[in-house]
Amino acid sequence: MRKIFPAEELARDSRFVRQSNEDRMNDPRGARVGGSTGEKLSKLTPNLPNGPDRARALMHGIFVGEIQALEGAGRTCYDFETITDVPFAMKLDMARQCWDEARHCEISVALAEHMGTEIGEFAENTLLYQAACNPDPVLRLTGVNRALEGLAIDVFNTMKEFGSIAGDPVLEFCEDWMLADEVTHVKMGSDWLRELTLNDKERLTKALEFQKVVDRLFSFNGFRGEDDENPIQLTRRFRELAGFSDEEIDDIAQMSREAAAEIVH
Amino acid sequence: MAEVKRPREPFAPWDRRVLPGLFDVEETARRVGNYKWVETKLFETLGGWIATVPELDVKLRLGTHCYHHAWHAELFDKRLPELREMNPERLAIPPNENLVEFMKAMSEPEAPGLTIEKLVGAYRVLLPHKIAAYTYHRNGTSEVTDMPTIRMLDFVLQDEINDWREGEMLLKSIIETDEEIERATTHQDRLEKLMLASGGIAGRGSIGNAYIDITEEK
Amino acid sequence: MTEIQIEPNSFEMVFFDAEKIVNLASEVAQKLGLGNEQIKLRIDETSSMGRSRVESYEPIILAADGGAFENTQRPRYLGETRTSETIARLLMRIIDRRSPEFANAPEDDLLDLPLRVAWDTYTAGRLNLLGLSTQMKRRQYQFRNRHGFSDAADEAFTYLWESPNELAWADIERISAGCRATLV
Repeated sequence: MRKIFPAEELARDSRFVRQSNEDRMNDPRGARVGGSTGEKLSKLTPNLPNGPDRARALMHGIFVGEIQALEGAGRTCYDFETITDVPFAMKLDMARQCWDEARHCEISVALAEHMGTEIGEFAENTLLYQAACNPDPVLRLTGVNRALEGLAIDVFNTMKEFGSIAGDPVLEFCEDWMLADEVTHVKMGSDWLRELTLNDKERLTKALEFQKVVDRLFSFNGFRGEDDENPIQLTRRFRELAGFSDEEIDDIAQMSREAAAEIVH
Repeated sequence: MAEVKRPREPFAPWDRRVLPGLFDVEETARRVGNYKWVETKLFETLGGWIATVPELDVKLRLGTHCYHHAWHAELFDKRLPELREMNPERLAIPPNENLVEFMKAMSEPEAPGLTIEKLVGAYRVLLPHKIAAYTYHRNGTSEVTDMPTIRMLDFVLQDEINDWREGEMLLKSIIETDEEIERATTHQDRLEKLMLASGGIAGRGSIGNAYIDITEEK
Repeated sequence: MTEIQIEPNSFEMVFFDAEKIVNLASEVAQKLGLGNEQIKLRIDETSSMGRSRVESYEPIILAADGGAFENTQRPRYLGETRTSETIARLLMRIIDRRSPEFANAPEDDLLDLPLRVAWDTYTAGRLNLLGLSTQMKRRQYQFRNRHGFSDAADEAFTYLWESPNELAWADIERISAGCRATLV
């Protein structure tokens, strides 16, 4: 088996259809433009007329993201030599993440059944796994564990509130448990980033730059931020628990405002 | 007053544990080091396979099992300093080159159509050999001097048997044709021979020697 | 003969086939007994959202975001099932409003969310019987979001879903209100 497994070869059954990053980025309609009315998307709550359907689509996106996170953590176990490339303890954390992400996939499947979503109903984009393909394990940590799992914290917290407002006990319960795990994963990323770059400021800088690139990609069209018009709300509290500094969180919020300002109506 | 001081046996009548065990500290450490190496290679391989298998249920089980074997590796890693090995990495090695060959062959299948081979390698060859070696070690260990290793192996064996069962059920549900049975048996055959050459996951004597040497009288 | 007009008749931002849409709309209209009507379809291809509405009941003008016709597995491409379902739902709304049983139904803009969803459930259930609607569980999830996650709501949903052309607006109002009354 090769080391570094390319995203194009991720194994899927026939239900899954892939959308390339190019297709996604080149969609001239953008994600939040309400067409000729100029209406923007807003915070995802059940009070929106299409709230439940948007929640369904989002949770399917989370589901395929969890599959890729599972695959990414598994590859990190395999792709690097223990001791010489990564510490044994870090591999143990990645294996633990495999278990957690497998559970998240199972939860997501149960949630899809609850919400009336079919597996593969929506296209899959492999951006998360691509971040997990980086040949530097430290960049994988920042790209996946800090950037993408950080986004997962935001999504799960927003959806937990969605479930609470809607009176949906299943959604709220599932999001709560997944949220707890994601805080752990982000913290793993924060802790290992600190440990592995203690004496290597250049590597730290490169890793944090990569994290920003990934964060920027997922601030696409103001998808996530602190304003009411952002569908997914940036969650300061849980990010702090997971090792993000105030400055880092402010940067992400600013990135989102800049992304929103770039939208052409 | 006299009642309080009445002496009792240190081993209660129902406590039939005996002192002798098959392994001294050094031999135990050697085996535990081999176990750690095997569990590490296994969890790395299972983790690497997750992205390569298209079957969703297999993908998820591999993720869970990856953690199980990583945890076993961690338990063995923690045990080594307790067995006077202050540098665990020194003993976390394969017993011989033949087992290295085995692990390479086992982790070789990558293509999405080779789920059968992947599962056979792990669940029909490696896990049964591990169960055998851990059972031999556990049963041959002194319950008085080395209860920590026994306790650890009991937890590990519980996982191994459950994982073996789940892996075997997945295999049985995937194999549907004579050709697939042949693929499974061919791959198992190849790997079993490599394992035989190694003597087992702890080398020669992994599960002791069941044969009796009889010297002919002249 | 159904006459379907489509606006625009060619697309630049999405890969929709206008002729295909016209054919799908015509099939749906025939199935629902609107075979002799003139129908205009206005599609906003600049929007990936999934909104749709009856813009006019007489003449029939249906308006939809491009997302309402989109293949969710292949963004920007036409989803034939989704297109048929969207058009069918809107046409069924027109049919309902033409019947005396729905004379008291509020204007579309005045329908609150729960009532809109209850009516949509009744519509989707009937379309399901005609082979024009799928995803019952999705409809149930929408219904539960507006009427509660409860046995009472599930029973109400099943009743609406399985009622073939038997209900009047007053029934839908009563069923929806009955569920909401049980919400804390």
